[in-house]
Amino acid sequence: MAHEGTHAAHHETSVWALPVGLSTFFLSLAAIAHFTWHLPFLAVLSGGVGLALLAIGIAGWANEYFSKGHDEGLGFQGIVWFVFAEVVIFGTIFAGFWMARVTHADVWVREWIPQGGMNLALVALLTLILWTSSFTIWKAEHSIEEGDLGGYRMWLLATMVLGTAFLVLHAWEWLHLWHKGFTISSNMYGTGFYMLTGVHASHVLVGVLMQLVLLINSGKALNKKTPARAASYYWHFVDLAWLLVAGTAYIVGSYGKF
Amino acid sequence: MAAVSYRPYFSAGLKEWLFTTDHKKIGIMYGITSLIFFLIAGLSALAIRLELYQPGLQYMSEDAYNQALTVHGVLMQFWWAVAIWGSFGNYLLPLMIGARDVAFPRLNALSYWLFFAASVLALLTFLPGNHIRMMWTGYPPFSLNENAGPVAFYALIIHMLGASSLASAINLVVTNLTMRAPGITLRKMNLFLHAFLAMNVIQILGVPALAGAVTMLLMDKYFHTAFFDPTRGGDPLLYQNLFWFYSHPVVYVMILPAFGLISEMIATFSRREIFGRTSMIFAIWGIAILGFMVWIHHMFTSGVPDWIRILFSYTTVLIGVPTGIKIFNWVFTLYKGSVRFTTPMLYTLSAIFMFLIGGLTGIPLGLPAFDIAVHDSHFVVAHFHYVLGMALTLAVFGGFHYWYPKITGRMYSELWGKIGLVIIMIGSNLFYFLQFIVGLEGMPRRYADYPPIPEWVRLHELQTIGAFILAFGVFIALANLILSTKLGPKAEDNPWQSPSLEWLIPSPPPPHNFDKIPHMPEDWDPYNYEWLEKQHKKA
Repeated sequence: MAHEGTHAAHHETSVWALPVGLSTFFLSLAAIAHFTWHLPFLAVLSGGVGLALLAIGIAGWANEYFSKGHDEGLGFQGIVWFVFAEVVIFGTIFAGFWMARVTHADVWVREWIPQGGMNLALVALLTLILWTSSFTIWKAEHSIEEGDLGGYRMWLLATMVLGTAFLVLHAWEWLHLWHKGFTISSNMYGTGFYMLTGVHASHVLVGVLMQLVLLINSGKALNKKTPARAASYYWHFVDLAWLLVAGTAYIVGSYGKF
Repeated sequence: MAAVSYRPYFSAGLKEWLFTTDHKKIGIMYGITSLIFFLIAGLSALAIRLELYQPGLQYMSEDAYNQALTVHGVLMQFWWAVAIWGSFGNYLLPLMIGARDVAFPRLNALSYWLFFAASVLALLTFLPGNHIRMMWTGYPPFSLNENAGPVAFYALIIHMLGASSLASAINLVVTNLTMRAPGITLRKMNLFLHAFLAMNVIQILGVPALAGAVTMLLMDKYFHTAFFDPTRGGDPLLYQNLFWFYSHPVVYVMILPAFGLISEMIATFSRREIFGRTSMIFAIWGIAILGFMVWIHHMFTSGVPDWIRILFSYTTVLIGVPTGIKIFNWVFTLYKGSVRFTTPMLYTLSAIFMFLIGGLTGIPLGLPAFDIAVHDSHFVVAHFHYVLGMALTLAVFGGFHYWYPKITGRMYSELWGKIGLVIIMIGSNLFYFLQFIVGLEGMPRRYADYPPIPEWVRLHELQTIGAFILAFGVFIALANLILSTKLGPKAEDNPWQSPSLEWLIPSPPPPHNFDKIPHMPEDWDPYNYEWLEKQHKKA
């Protein structure tokens, strides 16, 4: 088992969970100050404190993790369970989207699909980018298993570049559609479209940030290979989810009026 | 397992507590936070009962009444019935599987601090102008109304609680599956561990559904999305479906661990292995799986088609089978056992009694014909206060007494423990049994006022008296537990003579639990009391 051997009895502590926990309080407070109290100054202040605490907390946490102790390999299982939860999160929005698509099929096709339909060529490009990045992160994982630190860094960076390119192109696409009058509040197609793709893009962003943390700590990665495996697994999930998200948001959503 | 003298885990400075990653300290922190909010929720319940003592509005405005109901519901569900298991799970799970800590100790600390942040936010809603009055369900379109209170608070509190639950659930599942000491097989795991495993799996699959629902609420309120707006293709029933897809399974998140506690205590105080232990494990998982297939029974009056109502009525009634198996097995465990009527045992038996009443009134509630008749009446309120209010709280209080010597190293007063329980049982039955009757007679729930029908007035007066007796009993029980941390006599390491692993180490446990990871022998079992006697003879 993981903890063989004897330790001297002392109290186990870590400074880093507390700032990360408190950061969520300040970030929530910022949202509340903005939405319900209408106090912009408090919102900016609280949001700034929250983001700073979050960044410091995660940096310290990662540094402590990579510098102390040994790799127990449990993190991978943790991510597997987390992905189950993610499937349900996506499921809730799919439920809303599909329910409206079925019950309002008529008005959906007649009125809700934006003029000229969806840009399916762009979707194909986005898919290509994301799935190439699944290959690059697999190469990164493979490199670190072999002990090839240079390859690990290069493939990780390549994945981040692809992930960022995906986000930029996607943002451009959103702006384009928004200006055509297809907004998040237009109707259930707009709501479902921006929520599905938006939640998915937020996952891509989290994945890229994970890779950034891995890249910063890559000097110590040879002793701790589990985070690379876990981040890779998470990234594959995000890429697979894209198939369903894009299929639903673009193809099922705009079917009948290409 | 040699007893080495240690400074106990809890004698540590402020810095050690604040930055701790020790599962025992985090368990204590969960427990104290949970108890504080239990008391706030209890006080708001007393305020509700005072208002209902007589017809008409005496003490509160309707808005204040709505706020009191919301506070009572949200705090009792999330801070007591769910979060108290964060306390038991964190403290006991690593001890029972022979581990030094959970799989991800830092993440465990983060789970607590997320919970703490949510707690502070919840307290902020007491500020004037921020009262949440949308009930714990937060149904749209009502919750999107100005009068319902700030949605941002409600949604973000639920998000943070959800993140905390999710992190904690993943942590405990991975710990349970990968860090069991050699010799503790799945078959030999305590029923407590099986219950917590099932409960945490439910959390992992359920919490995201609620998070999705309140995210949609947040988006609808502040970004004008169309999720719950029928004029733009949305559907308010989507919220109800997602909400109950989590919030029905969550009643098993609350009650399965209580079943686990009951199983531990029944076995120890009957000195017998749980009758039908394998069937108990199947019953736990049966309840966990069926729990995801019954949510529509909360929506029988929402206009769902008949065939769906019938389908979900069947699955609901089906849950009675594994639950019934558990109750029969507990009763059969008593048969030919050498039963000791200690305070935790009496709490356990009371919990089973209350669960039986609550469970049996739940079966007819699963039948649409009856449910539609008593829908949104005090009958429903009485039903879930018997199962979740009382059976759960009695099991938790039983657990407090049972593991008290393990956690504090001292013994509580048996006499005051029993007095507290008797008062709780008198008060709660007077209160909730009459609530069934007034509910059957048509008293709707969530109303601050009722017509001055003489019989209703009498029933409400007696209920309020019962509620105050119940509160007094809780006060006695908690005072006994709190005062005994200073006044109680020193406890032995294993006062109940249980072979379960947490009792084989010193009380209170040393900071690292186990000097050496234990290798449990072939003939050991958490319920093998002869094994423990043989160990004593050898020593």
